Amino acid sequence: MARLIAGEFEKVFSIRLWLWLLLGSAGLTALYASLTIVNADNPDTWVYPLSTGAGQRTLFSVGQGAGSLVAVLGAIGITAEFRHRTATATFLATPRRSRVVTAKLVTFPLLGVAYGLVCVVVTVAIALPWLAAMDIDVSLSANGIPGTLAGVVTASALFGLLGVGVGALLRDQVGAVVVLLVYLFVAEPILTRVEAFSAWTPYLPGPAASALTQVSLTNQDFLVPWQGGLVLAGYGLALALAGARLTIRRDIA
Amino acid sequence: MDGLTKTFGPVRAVDGLSFTVEPGSITGFLGPNGAGKTTTLRMLLGLVTPDAGSATISGRPYADLTAPCDEVGAVLEATGFHPARSGRAHLSVYCRINGYLRRRADEVLELVGLTGAGRRPVGSYSLGMRQRLALAAALLGDPPVLVLDEPANGLDPEGIAWLRGLLRDLAGRGRTVLVSSHVLSEVQQIVDRVVIVNNGRLVRHGSLVELSAEHATVLVRTPQVARLRAALERTGARTVGVGGESVRVTGMDAAEVGDRAFAAGVRLHALVSEGSDLEQVFLSLTAQSGAEQGAA
Repeated sequence: MARLIAGEFEKVFSIRLWLWLLLGSAGLTALYASLTIVNADNPDTWVYPLSTGAGQRTLFSVGQGAGSLVAVLGAIGITAEFRHRTATATFLATPRRSRVVTAKLVTFPLLGVAYGLVCVVVTVAIALPWLAAMDIDVSLSANGIPGTLAGVVTASALFGLLGVGVGALLRDQVGAVVVLLVYLFVAEPILTRVEAFSAWTPYLPGPAASALTQVSLTNQDFLVPWQGGLVLAGYGLALALAGARLTIRRDIA
Repeated sequence: MDGLTKTFGPVRAVDGLSFTVEPGSITGFLGPNGAGKTTTLRMLLGLVTPDAGSATISGRPYADLTAPCDEVGAVLEATGFHPARSGRAHLSVYCRINGYLRRRADEVLELVGLTGAGRRPVGSYSLGMRQRLALAAALLGDPPVLVLDEPANGLDPEGIAWLRGLLRDLAGRGRTVLVSSHVLSEVQQIVDRVVIVNNGRLVRHGSLVELSAEHATVLVRTPQVARLRAALERTGARTVGVGGESVRVTGMDAAEVGDRAFAAGVRLHALVSEGSDLEQVFLSLTAQSGAEQGAA
């Protein structure tokens, strides 16, 4: 299994997609961090003042936005095998296909950790000097900020799992990426604003990620961190299991 | 292969196909396009699940091989590459997965003549180069068994000659090779045995020498055509008059034709062993069973 995972990493790093998505994640994080700081003084926005713990946690959670791109990376990582017909070579080398899915379920969360760490570094690099310039005192070890930063990294990892799961089930690359992006950026924001669903929206992937950072931009309810982590991991694993059972075993003709 | 069967929608692609490939031989797996060759090979390699029957390599299904790339090398299609990944990186991935040294990727690239192109993305390769890369991937583990599906596709005549040399060299080192083709002449010079399929069914299975002997013809010239034909056909040979005083005989060698003629008191003016036109044999074998299938 270690060799299989090493092979998966080599597949990712031999194509430049990982770099573009990482730059995209870092860029989004920088943008969100800047917008958060700029808008913090505006009483009409959702951001608490940056002098408060809640405001600081919001600022340090912005790397969570990278999760969607990690999910895209994971989905492409598995669907590319079918799109470019490398599945033939992959399954010739590893005839037990569930082992291939398992290797990807390890590889992409690990890449998610790396993406999450980069986004945390970007956030801190922007926030600390900027807050210092605004004479706001902030400590990375206070106000629940360590938990929020750990949540960003964990959520990023689990979004990698989610991407592999969606890709395993759909097998179609364009389909998987469109489903992920439409869900995360259109469907879920709508669902979480519907009052009637508020009892179960905390169990959706995005709010589950919010549970990990303990920050939500929409003031919705969320679970405690470990529950959120389990829910988010559950989606990825359940989808991947369904994919391994239903679609991955289909004939490679 | 034992009773392999696979149906795609209304089409029975492979229909109760059974045959064995002799270890240490080069076996040509022949049939027209759509005969079920690719599907059969994919079932052998665990990529397609048969509806019935089974296929084993050294007695085990492919999926049960502990290190498949050490045991079987396969070339299935020249399209299974990520266009943005370099040829060398593609091989390198499978070195990792199989625990081979990275140096092995460079060795097989050199073996197939792609050293110069190894670092270019596969998207820039010609079909022939992709075919060579697929072959390189199959050779990574230096496996004792090679399964090649139409490996000559996309190769220029020089490339085909090179491929023949490579396969001959591998067979000389005791490798077992199963190579499919829809053109007999492509593999005729290198195969020891043939498995001919049509419409998913076995048509012929045997050594090329047998097949060739069976269909070899003898051209005879005699002033007593009718008597000769009668004498030969009594002993099971087939004869066809080819105008005037000539007869073409199938199913009997020249010496036997001469002996029978002598015994029957028929004078011969010429006796020529013509060998056999295997391409014609192949075409007639596959056309024939196609007609049967249509009638059934």
